[in-house]
Amino acid sequence: MLIQAIYRIAWKDVVGDLRRRATLSSMLFFAISVLVVFQAAFEPDRQEALRLLPGLLWATTLFTTLVGLGRVFQAEEEDGAFEGLLLASVPRGVIFFGKWLGNLLLTLLVELLILPLILVLFNVDAWKHVPAILAILALGTLGLTGLGTLLAAMTRGARSRETLLALLLLPLTAPMLIAGVQAIAGILQADGIVAPWIKLLTIFDLVYLALAPWAFGWLVEE
Amino acid sequence: MNILKKIQLPTGILTWITLIAGVWLVFNVPDDFQQGGAVKILYIHVPSAKMALLSYLVVTVASILHLWKRSETADILAEAATSVGAAFTAMTLASGSIWGKPMWGTWWAWDARLTSMLVLLILFKGLMVLRHSLDDPVKGARATAILAIIGAVDLPIIHYSVVWWRTLHQPPSLSAGSNAGIHIAGPLLTPLLILTVAFMLLTLYMTTVKARQIEARRRLDALETARMHADE
Repeated sequence: MLIQAIYRIAWKDVVGDLRRRATLSSMLFFAISVLVVFQAAFEPDRQEALRLLPGLLWATTLFTTLVGLGRVFQAEEEDGAFEGLLLASVPRGVIFFGKWLGNLLLTLLVELLILPLILVLFNVDAWKHVPAILAILALGTLGLTGLGTLLAAMTRGARSRETLLALLLLPLTAPMLIAGVQAIAGILQADGIVAPWIKLLTIFDLVYLALAPWAFGWLVEE
Repeated sequence: MNILKKIQLPTGILTWITLIAGVWLVFNVPDDFQQGGAVKILYIHVPSAKMALLSYLVVTVASILHLWKRSETADILAEAATSVGAAFTAMTLASGSIWGKPMWGTWWAWDARLTSMLVLLILFKGLMVLRHSLDDPVKGARATAILAIIGAVDLPIIHYSVVWWRTLHQPPSLSAGSNAGIHIAGPLLTPLLILTVAFMLLTLYMTTVKARQIEARRRLDALETARMHADE
């Protein structure tokens, strides 16, 4: 029942978004422009590109997530739709998980698309590591979108919201960024260290996915 | 809030006395034989760092009280301690940089403590901005309180992730200097203790002044709103 409510809210967001082609395409094209900026700024050769890959990947993901998060509650902006959603006879945490799942699916989809794009555009030969890299990205994205969805709810109706979202999200995601970059770097090196970073990513995910629904409940309480 | 008015003057006087006594002692202890006169900046740096963290603790506790008891006083305290904490965090970073230039040969290093402090500064700034960017002050206060609690949970994770990052990634080449500072001889320790007390009083004094200022501001805003409603 509760699982179904989560699924319904997420389904509404994802399908609505795919039909309007709103968030997904703007995230994707934003990611591509970030990659163009990186290429123009650093002009890495193949060797450098391999070294820069973990950072490029996470930086692109982080910036792109910001674009997606700015729109998480966009469908609920008008006609008191957000209040309508809150009236649903499920716990507030369930509503949070629904919104989170919708955002998570879109973000994962974008990551799935930008990883091959980066490998092609930067001429990096890391194709055999693609599944492992995607797994790390997905693991970090769980907590990233959890924290992000909460912050999106927090800044709903705020002035200069996008800037505020970036200011709040970026420092709090420092552990995820460090662990994510180090884990992917560890995978790319033959004798790299991966396990402790995966542990740190998991701690980050667990903390935020436990904390965020509770905080969301406090946030929307009248 | 009456108690704030009462303690403001005595706290202010005590702050000045301890600060002057502490600084006088600092300039009367012998210089460190390795670090020379530059070591004296640590007498400002170390208490600043402690007060920055103490302020965040106050913000967190006040935020919990605000959410739990819906106490306006707790919210005013949280807002006041946020500004004070931000000031001490900036002071810590600035004094650390000034000490780092002659000692480490560089203004900045991505050392665990420096990075955590920088993140703390951004977090304080985020708390200050979030409160005033929501039109409804009640919602702004609640969102800020929740962010403060999330930050309190995140800060240890940030700190340990940066420590891991610097230790697993490369040896902490620069932090050796600051660890060596643990062995402080008695005569050098006394001014540090006095200054720590002075900074605690200073924190209390600044928070008191700031809290009274915020309270007056809110009363003015309420009067303004009431007047506008009366005009209609």
